[in-house]
Amino acid sequence: MAELTVDDLHLRYGETPILNGVALTLERGQVVSLLGPSGSGKTTLLRAVAGLESPFQGTIRIGDTVMFDGARAIDIPAERRNLGLVFQSYALWPHKTIFDNVAYGLRLRRMPGADIKIAVTRVLEQLSLGQLGARFPHQLSGGQQQRVALARALVYNPPVILLDEPLSNLDAKLREEARAWLRELIVRLQLSALCVTHDQGEAMAMSDRILLLNNGRIEQQGTPQQMYSDPQTLFVADFMGSNNQLKGSVADVHDGVATLAGDGWQLAGVARAGAASGVPGVAMVRVERARVADAAGPNRLAAKLVTSMYIGDRFEHLFELGQARLRAYGDTPLATGSTHFVELPRDAVWIFRANA
Amino acid sequence: MPADFAVAAPVARSAFAARLPRGLTILVTALAVLSPLSLIFYQSFLTAPFFDARKTAGLDAYRFVFADPDFWSAFVNSTVLAVGMTAIAVPLGAVLAFVMERTDLPGKRFVEPIILVPSFVSPMVLAFGYVVAAGPVGFYSVWAQDLFGASPWGIYSIAGMAVIAGLTHVPHVYIYASSALKSLGSDVEEAARIAGASPFRVATTISLPLIAPALLFASVLVFFLGFELFGLPLVLGDPEGHLVLSTYLYKLTNKLGTPSYHLMAAVAICIVAVTFPLVLLQRRLLQNARRYATIKGKAGRMKELPLGRWKWVALLILYAWVFLAVIVPVSGITLRAFVTNWGIGVSLIDAFTLDNFRAVFDEPTHTRAIFNTILIGTVGGAIAVACYTAIGFATHRRYDGWSRFIDYLVLVPRAVPGLLAGLAFLWVFLFFPPLQPLRATLFSMWLAYTVVWLAYGMRLISTSLFQVSTELEEAARTIGASRARISREITLPLIRHGLLGSWLLVFMIFEREYSTGVYLLAPGNEVIGAQLVSLWQGGAIDVVAALSVINILLVGVGLAIALRFGVRLRD
Repeated sequence: MAELTVDDLHLRYGETPILNGVALTLERGQVVSLLGPSGSGKTTLLRAVAGLESPFQGTIRIGDTVMFDGARAIDIPAERRNLGLVFQSYALWPHKTIFDNVAYGLRLRRMPGADIKIAVTRVLEQLSLGQLGARFPHQLSGGQQQRVALARALVYNPPVILLDEPLSNLDAKLREEARAWLRELIVRLQLSALCVTHDQGEAMAMSDRILLLNNGRIEQQGTPQQMYSDPQTLFVADFMGSNNQLKGSVADVHDGVATLAGDGWQLAGVARAGAASGVPGVAMVRVERARVADAAGPNRLAAKLVTSMYIGDRFEHLFELGQARLRAYGDTPLATGSTHFVELPRDAVWIFRANA
Repeated sequence: MPADFAVAAPVARSAFAARLPRGLTILVTALAVLSPLSLIFYQSFLTAPFFDARKTAGLDAYRFVFADPDFWSAFVNSTVLAVGMTAIAVPLGAVLAFVMERTDLPGKRFVEPIILVPSFVSPMVLAFGYVVAAGPVGFYSVWAQDLFGASPWGIYSIAGMAVIAGLTHVPHVYIYASSALKSLGSDVEEAARIAGASPFRVATTISLPLIAPALLFASVLVFFLGFELFGLPLVLGDPEGHLVLSTYLYKLTNKLGTPSYHLMAAVAICIVAVTFPLVLLQRRLLQNARRYATIKGKAGRMKELPLGRWKWVALLILYAWVFLAVIVPVSGITLRAFVTNWGIGVSLIDAFTLDNFRAVFDEPTHTRAIFNTILIGTVGGAIAVACYTAIGFATHRRYDGWSRFIDYLVLVPRAVPGLLAGLAFLWVFLFFPPLQPLRATLFSMWLAYTVVWLAYGMRLISTSLFQVSTELEEAARTIGASRARISREITLPLIRHGLLGSWLLVFMIFEREYSTGVYLLAPGNEVIGAQLVSLWQGGAIDVVAALSVINILLVGVGLAIALRFGVRLRD
């Protein structure tokens, strides 16, 4: 059963359109991530679901309850939507203790004091915050504050929990631990979560499905594997992963294989939507699929090495090919200034029509 | 890269020449602030006025005052008034600030300048307004009698005065509460709404508790202003004979029939003994409030809280207050200025007249008062801002003992109500023979105004100064500019808009001022504010009404210019 259904949602700030007909569903026990560059509308979408932004068209349903319907002028205020929201800044109330922060939602629901104590203690235990109830937010570390924010959103068992860049205020090392922990928690407690992030690694690690937003529209949605290995548009291919990009013109397309021709080179790859003979095209290859080869061959481009950078577990080679730059990983440094052959395997190359 | 031409090292002035301007500024400020107060202090321990040959040192003055039951009843009244107005102004100001600052209340941008009106209109004028609007035969009282058969309010009692003082001091709370709310991120409120709190719950359990330090500061401020009240109790307390400390002081002369300077000085010292600790407390609280504001941080994008059904409650509170604190007194005094007389059975149209204004313009002392008031606001205001700026530069980015000295020096006049300061300056001009020729000139009035508003002016200047980023000045220093040159060529040009805004605000404050001039008033240096006090004593209600309207217009011009050029009316 869909816990959350958004359909054809439109929203604008003044004259500026922010959401242009977004639709999504969230099933029980699933984590769906909203991914996209800044300004794509992902946070606005999350806030609209929470009731903190006002769309003018479309519908939002939680379970069977209509929370927003532009056509029927239904707009349930945020405080009656019964959702949990974890803010990017955590937004812990600095004048309340951790216990009172978490208990606030239960007090508003008129739960008896003894039950509140049990419920809050349990959720604090679950999130390993058991000893910290009497402290104030500023006495906690960033990671602890983040868990308090989560506890506060979970304690009254909302059907859907919304996470707005929940890990972005943690430092890099903590963030990797926290995302594993968060994913495990969500699965264990069978939560339905909608999560905004701009970090694709985080989105892929945590989510069952990813929705990639661009200019207020959903560009593509699917499992993390689909998003990474089968991008349907140039934008998606470019946004996910780190890429080599080569511009040229499409020389030939047949049997799903396109050939892109540039200044003195030719590259064959998987033809994507819009790639047709004669149009300007772009080849995209994930950097980890590029390989330095020792001799000429098909889909091997002769390029001059600019530099080899040591990045810890390997070397990253930077080549120049006319105006373009190519990157590939390797185990040993290469001689600067020498010419090498960079192999871009045919099944790893996607050829898109270039944006006008 | 080395320069390919020879460059000499920056020329340094002698250490003495570099220090002279600052030393002079500090000296003049200290003299202007401390000499009047020391004179009061000295006088309070004499048995007769300081010019009297028979004077001796002694505690007679204190003995007399403490034995006078009127003094104690005035003291009690002042306390009751201060507590009462704090109890009214703080909750109301906090709620209005929340509604205006954090919610989607319709039309609030238009209302904001109106909320600040009571803090710009002279309390004397407001008091007249209440008398002619809501006194026993006031416009609104008479209309209420026509409609309901009775007007169920009495504004001449202590309770009535406390209500009026409370309502008219809402802006003071509003200003501090709303700037504290501004620095509060909207995420904490949104988190409360997500948890299920209604707008009312959000305000009472999250937003207002979070600005508790600012509200505490505002409470102490209003309580302190309660002890300073002069215009309201002078006008409203008169009919039933209620005295507060300041009006007790004012009436002392009449009481004994002889110049009783030593008694006045003793009362003045008693008042300062109450207000000075309150000023020190305010300073501490303000620093705390600021520190508290910075730890919250993360004030991201502001998002207004939708009020929903609560909108009607908010609108009712807001407009009821605007009606009572702005419309009633201002409309009352304006109506009164355009009628010959007023009472039960008088029709507004029949009684309409312009004679009151003719009477003002036919009388040279009144026209001179108007002229002087404009002069002291414009030219006097500009010179005052120049003085404040000089003092500001004397402490700007210097963290030595002298800066701390000035910090505290500036607080001293804050603790001295205008009435006392005017009295003290009168004595200074009498006490030092070389100054005597200046006593009856506008200079004496200007000096007293400038010192009375020193703390206010310094706050305006330092707000501007702190907006100049340190690096801009440090950049000039590393290039080789002296402190004086940095002040003149970097900092001063950067704060010129702030200074213009300060000038405008000081203009409005000087137009509004009334109590400081009461004792300094002499033929030749009349100003509207002090003139109103003396005319009111003489019972010339027609002229008082007309002059009050002119006074409101002068402040209104300043307000209109300030709004037009987007001058921030508060910090």
